[in-house]
Amino acid sequence: MTSPLLAIRSLRAAYGKIEALKGVDVEINAGEIVALIGANGAGKSTLMMTIFGKPRARAGQILYEGRDITDVPTHAIAHLRIAQSPEGRRIFPRMSVAENLQMGADATGCTEAERDATLERVFTLFPRLKERYAQRGGTLSGGEQQMLAIGRALMSRPRLLLLDEPSLGLAPLIARQIFDAIRTLNRQDGLTVLIVEQNANHALKLAHRGYVMVNGLITLAGTGAELLQRAEIRAAYLEGGRHG
Amino acid sequence: MPAKPTTGILSILKTAVVNALIALVLFSLMVGIRTEAGSDGQLTYWMRFGELASLVAVVFGGSIVIELLRQWIGPSGTEKLVPPAVQSGMAFVGRFLAPALLIFALLVPVIFYNQRYILDLAILVLTYVMLGWGLNVVVGLAGLLDLGYVAFYAVGAYSYALLATNFDWSFWICLPLAGILAALWGVMLGFPVLRLRGDYLAIVTLAFGEIIRLVIINWQELTGGPNGVPGIPRPTLFGIPLDNSDDGLAARLGIEYSPTHRIVFLFYLILALALLTNWVTIRLRRLPIGRAWEALREDEVACRALGINTTTTKLTAFATGAMFGGLAGAFFATRQGFISPESFTFQESALVLAIVVLGGMGSQLGVALAALTMIGGFELFRGLETYRMLVFGMAMVLIMIWRPRGLIGHRAPTVYLTKAKAISSDLVKEGHG
Repeated sequence: MTSPLLAIRSLRAAYGKIEALKGVDVEINAGEIVALIGANGAGKSTLMMTIFGKPRARAGQILYEGRDITDVPTHAIAHLRIAQSPEGRRIFPRMSVAENLQMGADATGCTEAERDATLERVFTLFPRLKERYAQRGGTLSGGEQQMLAIGRALMSRPRLLLLDEPSLGLAPLIARQIFDAIRTLNRQDGLTVLIVEQNANHALKLAHRGYVMVNGLITLAGTGAELLQRAEIRAAYLEGGRHG
Repeated sequence: MPAKPTTGILSILKTAVVNALIALVLFSLMVGIRTEAGSDGQLTYWMRFGELASLVAVVFGGSIVIELLRQWIGPSGTEKLVPPAVQSGMAFVGRFLAPALLIFALLVPVIFYNQRYILDLAILVLTYVMLGWGLNVVVGLAGLLDLGYVAFYAVGAYSYALLATNFDWSFWICLPLAGILAALWGVMLGFPVLRLRGDYLAIVTLAFGEIIRLVIINWQELTGGPNGVPGIPRPTLFGIPLDNSDDGLAARLGIEYSPTHRIVFLFYLILALALLTNWVTIRLRRLPIGRAWEALREDEVACRALGINTTTTKLTAFATGAMFGGLAGAFFATRQGFISPESFTFQESALVLAIVVLGGMGSQLGVALAALTMIGGFELFRGLETYRMLVFGMAMVLIMIWRPRGLIGHRAPTVYLTKAKAISSDLVKEGHG
């Protein structure tokens, strides 16, 4: 088997004295959707942010296409065709939808033709964004903002897309549309996706493989279907958190 | 107001009474008792009931008027109540306001040729327009609150003054140098404050402005300290002096010399500099760097995730803003012919910042209007003497109540779809999202 697109080896990260990642190993192969699930404060978002160099890893390695990117500055990571849709969406509220999308393309230095083609793709995935392209980002609904955040990340034409809680605070129907779009991107465009979710049911159904994180450590790994079957997962994340 | 017809009067009266009571407490000591040194140096004091009562009455009445206006007009949702005809009229005015202002500005020396006072005032207004546009890059676009902008104004002014008096360099060589030096100082301020935001950034920039001023005061050998730099050369029209000499412009053109020539020249000079500032800013806004500034104002974390180098983005914003401040400073020096540290106090920074905020952060036209209002307003209220600042402060408060986003809060987007993308309407109607 070929080497993974992204390999995380015994990664440690901390906020001051509080250790958030205590030696995490995760592998993502090209063309996969990998879900990372876990309770609040398990370190899922920290892992996502550590891949982007903020906070910096205390120990361990992050290998992308075989290259060590552990110490690459945050802004330079986006140039390696890794894109991120951060937690809480973080779109630019006073800028228009078109400008938000353009921001995604700006830093990677693509040609105008490439940009237009990517824009076309984003608008096909999320026609809502095309309708609202002149509107200010802050005036969009939550679901539209999430679409914009993903669309903005796609504008840099990534190989690997990191999604932090894309279904957070969205109505089930909208959340499903987002997940459908992610599946389409994976199947049609061959995009590799790492998705962090609290909505374990949705995420594991979508993902090829999944990791379960507890207190800064990976406790379980397996295919999405396998994990969905496990009793402890069902108890902890799928049935309202009742243990036993 | 139909929303709360019964409680309206009562709540207005209540607010007015409370305000009047506060005024009574405040003014009873400040105004109600007048103290003075008597003939032998002893303290004499007497009560001034009449003045106190009238002040409290004014506050009471004023509160009622303000509350009524608030209920009728509403603080920020004004647009909804404006009839559509007026709205379209305002849009029409809005579209042609900027070109009309520009044409008017170009014609000012023609219209007011014999009114030296108005020409001087116009030059002053334009200087602040330029400073406002310069600071707008830092505060309005990049969202970096800079309370020490006057430092770059000072650097530019002293750069020109010292280079011109010590080396006899012409204005046109010194002008870009002053801009570059100010930009360098902008980067020097930028480095230590890279990690700061909001209040903390404001404090450090405030200190920076004071440091520059104190250095200028204390570095006597170079800057002349509090005595300033006298005898700064006047600008020339590319080598042709604008004076009464034989090779002056008037003599060469064979027209009668008038001191107004120089004033008119200065007017067009600052107008050109201000327009350059405006043009560069508008161009930059449409480039990735300008968009990155605005994105930085919105969300720094998202910027980094999108691959924007926030360090260089911030430094370029500081440098660009500082450069325009420096150019304005060089103009100020050549116009005055004499500069001293007194011209570069915190009050100038505050005034320029007020212009940017009042104009609506980020709006070029808004900043120009605000500079006109603020500097023109100062002069307009000159007849009110001691009450000038009071009236002026009240006007500012009122503007911020009715237009909390500034005179022109609207922000024009910089990205448009290049061509109408063909997406079939059935796809749109499918209900994605």
